[in-house]
Amino acid sequence: MIYRTNAMICTCTNCISNGALQVKDALEKEIKKKHLEGDVKVVPTGASGLCVNGPILVVQPEGIFYQLLTVEVVPHVVEEHFLKGRPVKSLMYVPPGEEAPIPNIRDIPFFKNQRLIALRNRGLIDPDEIEEYIARDGYRALAKALTSMTPEEVIAEIKKSGLRGRGGAGFPTGLKWEFCRSSPETPKYIICNADEGDPGAFMDRSVLEADPHSVIEGMTIGAYAMGGTQGYIYVRVEYPLAIKRMKRAVEQARDYGLLGKDIFRRGFDFDVDVFEGAGAFVCGEETSLIASIEGRPPEPRMRPPFPAQSGLWGKPTNINNVETWANIAVIINWGAEWFSQIGTDTSKGTKVFSLAGNINNAGLVEVPMGITLREIVYDIGGGIPNGKKLKAVQTGGPSGGFIPSDLLDLSVDYDRLQEAGAIMGSGGMIVVDEETCMVDMAKYFLEFTTSESCGRCTACREGLQAMHQILTNICAGQGKDGDIELLNELAPAVEDGSMCALGRTAPNPVLTTLRYFKDEYEAHINERRCPAGVCEVLIAYSIDPEKCKGCMLCVKSCPQGAITGEKGQPQNIDQEQCIKCGACREVCKFEAVIVR
Amino acid sequence: MPAITDKIGAVLVVGGGIGGMQASLDLANAGFKVYLVEKSPAIGGVMSQLDKTFPTNDCAMCTLAPRMVECGNHINVEKLTYSEVESIEGRPGKFKVRVRKKARSVDPDKCTGCGECMESCLVRNFAYLEPLPVEPLEPASDELDEVNRILEEHASEKGALLPVLEGINARYNWLPPAAVSRVSEALGIPLARVLRIATFYNMFSFEPRGEQMIRVCLGTSCYVKGGGKILGAVKRQLNIEVGGTTEDLKFSLESVSCVGCCGQSPVMTINDDIYGYLTQEKIPDILASYT
Repeated sequence: MIYRTNAMICTCTNCISNGALQVKDALEKEIKKKHLEGDVKVVPTGASGLCVNGPILVVQPEGIFYQLLTVEVVPHVVEEHFLKGRPVKSLMYVPPGEEAPIPNIRDIPFFKNQRLIALRNRGLIDPDEIEEYIARDGYRALAKALTSMTPEEVIAEIKKSGLRGRGGAGFPTGLKWEFCRSSPETPKYIICNADEGDPGAFMDRSVLEADPHSVIEGMTIGAYAMGGTQGYIYVRVEYPLAIKRMKRAVEQARDYGLLGKDIFRRGFDFDVDVFEGAGAFVCGEETSLIASIEGRPPEPRMRPPFPAQSGLWGKPTNINNVETWANIAVIINWGAEWFSQIGTDTSKGTKVFSLAGNINNAGLVEVPMGITLREIVYDIGGGIPNGKKLKAVQTGGPSGGFIPSDLLDLSVDYDRLQEAGAIMGSGGMIVVDEETCMVDMAKYFLEFTTSESCGRCTACREGLQAMHQILTNICAGQGKDGDIELLNELAPAVEDGSMCALGRTAPNPVLTTLRYFKDEYEAHINERRCPAGVCEVLIAYSIDPEKCKGCMLCVKSCPQGAITGEKGQPQNIDQEQCIKCGACREVCKFEAVIVR
Repeated sequence: MPAITDKIGAVLVVGGGIGGMQASLDLANAGFKVYLVEKSPAIGGVMSQLDKTFPTNDCAMCTLAPRMVECGNHINVEKLTYSEVESIEGRPGKFKVRVRKKARSVDPDKCTGCGECMESCLVRNFAYLEPLPVEPLEPASDELDEVNRILEEHASEKGALLPVLEGINARYNWLPPAAVSRVSEALGIPLARVLRIATFYNMFSFEPRGEQMIRVCLGTSCYVKGGGKILGAVKRQLNIEVGGTTEDLKFSLESVSCVGCCGQSPVMTINDDIYGYLTQEKIPDILASYT
């Protein structure tokens, strides 16, 4: 059945938390009420990208983009747009600092400047329906590989494309496959690493939620190329929706004969199981992930032997990240040559980033390698909210580093980021503004890595704890001379003495903040001052009597009852009672609460 | 043997137990160069195997560890571990000692103490012990029926431990001791190992948790946008700490390293509901809607 209009409503976790499901129900009800059910089809899709403004509705084929929907406005939209054909201006996207709304999704800078490969189907298909994936060239690459290519040709194609692992380290995927293929032992296992543990990263989640079949197709092609017979998708338990959609997708693929025995009648067997991780960051490391599936304590082990020789149950195993798998089908379909035109000399293709933090258009972006940070932050991200200044961009999560605002023209690829002290990582990109304390951020990341360190290597277990203690002291106003030097001395010791990437990269946030923001460390240590106004011991809240209108909002918000004053008169904060929670500053409409 | 008064050179301490270490430290702090000879591969001696000491019941490690660390780092203490004294010549004040240092076959400068070599070594000595008789567990209560059902479900899988624990956790929201023992028994995995694995993951708790699990996200994006302050507000409101449960078993509070909802930071989840764009102001109302 063909519909006049498709109403694509985003049902990713972000939008659902804002009531997307209720909006979807209301929409369906309203369409029925207006007898439009033969004309308009409501399609639930995965993440459309601009997560900050959910729930999002895109009306296709014209491509009208609505954001921040609520149940209350649904009847109006149905009446005006679907019935009378007049798009509703008030719900359209307005670029920050401008007034005219942009009706079409293709004209919105956030979407216009992206290049979609791994996310090619986002917002365009219902992830729960395999037919919709197939209609968008889904499983065509699998058919092509199985019927017209030898496994060696598939590997050669991937090698030629220059695809590098999207999980963080950037190892050439084709080479990895070749190692696994040349291992004589059988059976071989294929694993998709969806244990997205980096705080502030949600690319893998979105791919799994929006386009689960692209991962299955990629894995099946990989299994064909390497001779694998069983696959596992290791998803972290914090992603219930992704697990649900993935399991459903696997079942559908089995029903359609795209997984299981004798796929495409080529005598090739492959099946996939979804495995739920239980929330340990180190499980993202490949040897640790394997141990977790086997039911052993998930601690990393020395390599070699690499998983390609001895992995799951001691058999040859290939592990790739979700995004890597999602790229495979496109490369087979369109060819390595086409793919390798995108990107830079050493980094080919595109990369998905989850853009978050102090940025207007927080969400999921896929950009060609080699794009500058400035383009990502300002053209796509729409800049920093509330007129604040950009301070730094953090990439690579707890293994990555901070790139200061004066390096904004840095080209984003594996090697340039490494030179700047950060890493590409899995794709978390956190933008921080001037009100973020860099010492506090370094402490935050170390707190995370300290608690997630498995404790196997002494250098990582003890060294990170020592570094964390120093940073805690600095933030508490007890920093002393020599602390910075000690941090600089401990960092390489932790890097050298650790077996897996967790310990080897954990000092990066400290090293990059020391490299680019040494003045902030010095202000904390020498002047007992937190320039960004974050570290609680070093700051005090007060009210500017000039700006305060005496609206008493802050009095109501204060959990301590520390704010006193007459209505209509400037208020006053009792420093003895203040616990520095900042609630008053959040509610003040006149920016009268100042931090020093 | 006449002693000489103008002492030269260094002091040799034989034995790196608690006494030897303390002696070495006292001497080293007094300015002597100390050679500490120990026949086992590491200093620490017997005390490192003790839990408490007689008669004061002091913690052995608390006495021992600081001295070990200090000995390990002291510039004046040279440790000769895995070494034995062969001969002593000379007289008080001027001894000559021969020490045999045994081959370690490991470069101590590079070793991180990861223990990987021990695990990969194929040659092992196992002490054979008669397995202890296993006490049969309490006859099946409802709880154990449920656990048995979950075990049944995963019976055919290799590496079933984690899925089974996840199943129990999904059912009870924590891991009751009886259930854990049953899992250990049914899968034939020693209890200590089950616990080692279960404690590794953040998801499992060994204490009953409240009806509503509050998880405040402290992912980078949420942290930058004030997730820490939100956590503070929840703590104050419920008067519990992270990892705690309210007395009426209504709410449990945890922090989580990311729920992947970074577009709407700061975020918290209560069971399956996600709350985005939080401010401290909103917390009391949200929590009130669950009571």
